[in-house]
Amino acid sequence: MTMATRLADASLRVETERTGVLQQVWARRADYLYVLPAIVVMLIVIAYPIYYTINLSFFNTPPSLQLRDKNFVGFDNYSLILNSDVFWRVTANTFIWTIASTLIAFVLGLGAALALNRDFAGRSVLRAILIIPWVISAVAASYIWKWIYHSDFGVIGAVLVGLGLADRPPNLIDSVGTVLPSLIVVNVWREFPFAMIMLMAGLQTVPDQLLRAARVDGASAWQRFWHVTFPHLQGVSTVTILLLAVANFNSFIIPWIMTGGGPSNASHIWITHIYELAFGRQRWGVASAYSVLLFLILMTLGYFYVRALSGGERKERGA
Amino acid sequence: MTPTTIAVATRRRKPIDVWRWVGRIFLVLILLYTAVPMIWMLLTSIKSGFAALQFPPQWWPDEPTLASYHKLLDPTNSVGEDFLRFFWNSFFVSTATTILAVIVAVPAAYAFSRFDFPGRKFLFFSVLLRNMFPAVIFLVPLFILMRLLGLVNTHGSLILTYLTFGLPLAIWLLKGFYDNIPYQLEQAARIDGATRFQAFLLIVMPLSTPGIIATAIYSFIGAWNEYIFAYTFLSKNDQLTLPVGVQRFFSENTTDFPGLMAASFMMSLPVVVLFLLLQRYFVRALTEGAVKQ
Repeated sequence: MTMATRLADASLRVETERTGVLQQVWARRADYLYVLPAIVVMLIVIAYPIYYTINLSFFNTPPSLQLRDKNFVGFDNYSLILNSDVFWRVTANTFIWTIASTLIAFVLGLGAALALNRDFAGRSVLRAILIIPWVISAVAASYIWKWIYHSDFGVIGAVLVGLGLADRPPNLIDSVGTVLPSLIVVNVWREFPFAMIMLMAGLQTVPDQLLRAARVDGASAWQRFWHVTFPHLQGVSTVTILLLAVANFNSFIIPWIMTGGGPSNASHIWITHIYELAFGRQRWGVASAYSVLLFLILMTLGYFYVRALSGGERKERGA
Repeated sequence: MTPTTIAVATRRRKPIDVWRWVGRIFLVLILLYTAVPMIWMLLTSIKSGFAALQFPPQWWPDEPTLASYHKLLDPTNSVGEDFLRFFWNSFFVSTATTILAVIVAVPAAYAFSRFDFPGRKFLFFSVLLRNMFPAVIFLVPLFILMRLLGLVNTHGSLILTYLTFGLPLAIWLLKGFYDNIPYQLEQAARIDGATRFQAFLLIVMPLSTPGIIATAIYSFIGAWNEYIFAYTFLSKNDQLTLPVGVQRFFSENTTDFPGLMAASFMMSLPVVVLFLLLQRYFVRALTEGAVKQ
């Protein structure tokens, strides 16, 4: 927290008498006017849908989505999910997808951030080029890579055949064994720039004097990284990894456009599976139950996220 | 620091710096990984439909042609008519979302940064948490809500739902900016007789312009690239935004890869240009909250 807000807090604290919460709320009613529009919008588009999803997960709702005709089924939707093979298949895919994408994107981002951390001609141009995949539409990215992977005219197939590594172009995204890794390559392509930006900003906070001192004491480049730079990046790294993990867990566009979850569910992850259950097969109740489970998982991740962030805040306050 | 350690240090710096070379090679590889797909998109987009369907591929187009771009940008043929309409729809929806998100987020972010009202922590963390939830969780109930409000197949449904991700992010980014504006400036204004709201409007708002610009760009790019709500809520051809529209009209004719690549390029161009022009603000806003130790 900056000096300014600390001052602001201090002055507010002087204004506030020791009173009950309701009295405080009343006394600060003008403050709420600033937040009120945001609260209203958030209630409509966030709180209401969460409530409604939980509600729908206990019902069997007809495909037409006629809410009058829904009937209460208790936990049936949940037990249906947990007893299906597809659930475990998709869960395994989701974990592979999330963990592999996150780790590879983070490592590539860290490498790029470190390599770009010295001054050289063309550094800012290079950085700008490396960021572009993160900015362009995921839909465009999916088409570009679909074309690159194309089983008849794809450039990867052509290179593999040209180098004599394959007799004919492989069906990278049409076969069960290779589809998930192929999609992870696309996903990492789009995401490592995010890790790079975050970590480059983090590198700015590593004190120069410490690095210089380590150099003077004869520490090697690796030792300087491991003992000085890396510990300073820990806060940013935690936040970056969590944000990447959440984004990957919630991916939709790349798997949906490139394969639609196929072949035979090999690239379905939770999100695409839920979407297909709801809008493809009109199984609103089951899809809602899936959403509730997803919500619980994300709340757990969110707990760590908030803890990582507020840990930083506590340090700032010096408490 | 003794003289001997200095001597050791200078002697150690002499040999070739292995890590510098590792860094350079790494940069070259990652540049290839980043750039080759984009170059391949551009090269394909200037091939003829026939030239694109060859194996092994023409690495460099024999007869480069801008025909695909002409087709997309010419309003007198059906492809161009559709494409330009999708383009306009995307622009309209993204701009409206951005304006709404900024108007609602500015006062809220200011309050989160300056006031200490009961419930502040809880509200701010629910804002943060929202960034973790995928659109899919909200999709079914919002679809029902939009049907009730009669907004299915209108741009209103998109503008409203894009606030689900635009607003929390805007509040988060803007709060970071307000935290860095010295409170004394407002205090001075209030001593001179301004109300708190006047101080906010006349002192803080102008100072936070870079933050507002960054937030607006972020929100615009988010809305421009959004796919899942548009894919679910819109079905009429004249309403579609670019990501969905492009998918619709190329799924009918999947062999036109140059057209698809040209459309992908045109779809990405506005946001990439916007981003490159203003990346300094943008990157600062993005990393400010996370990097402070």
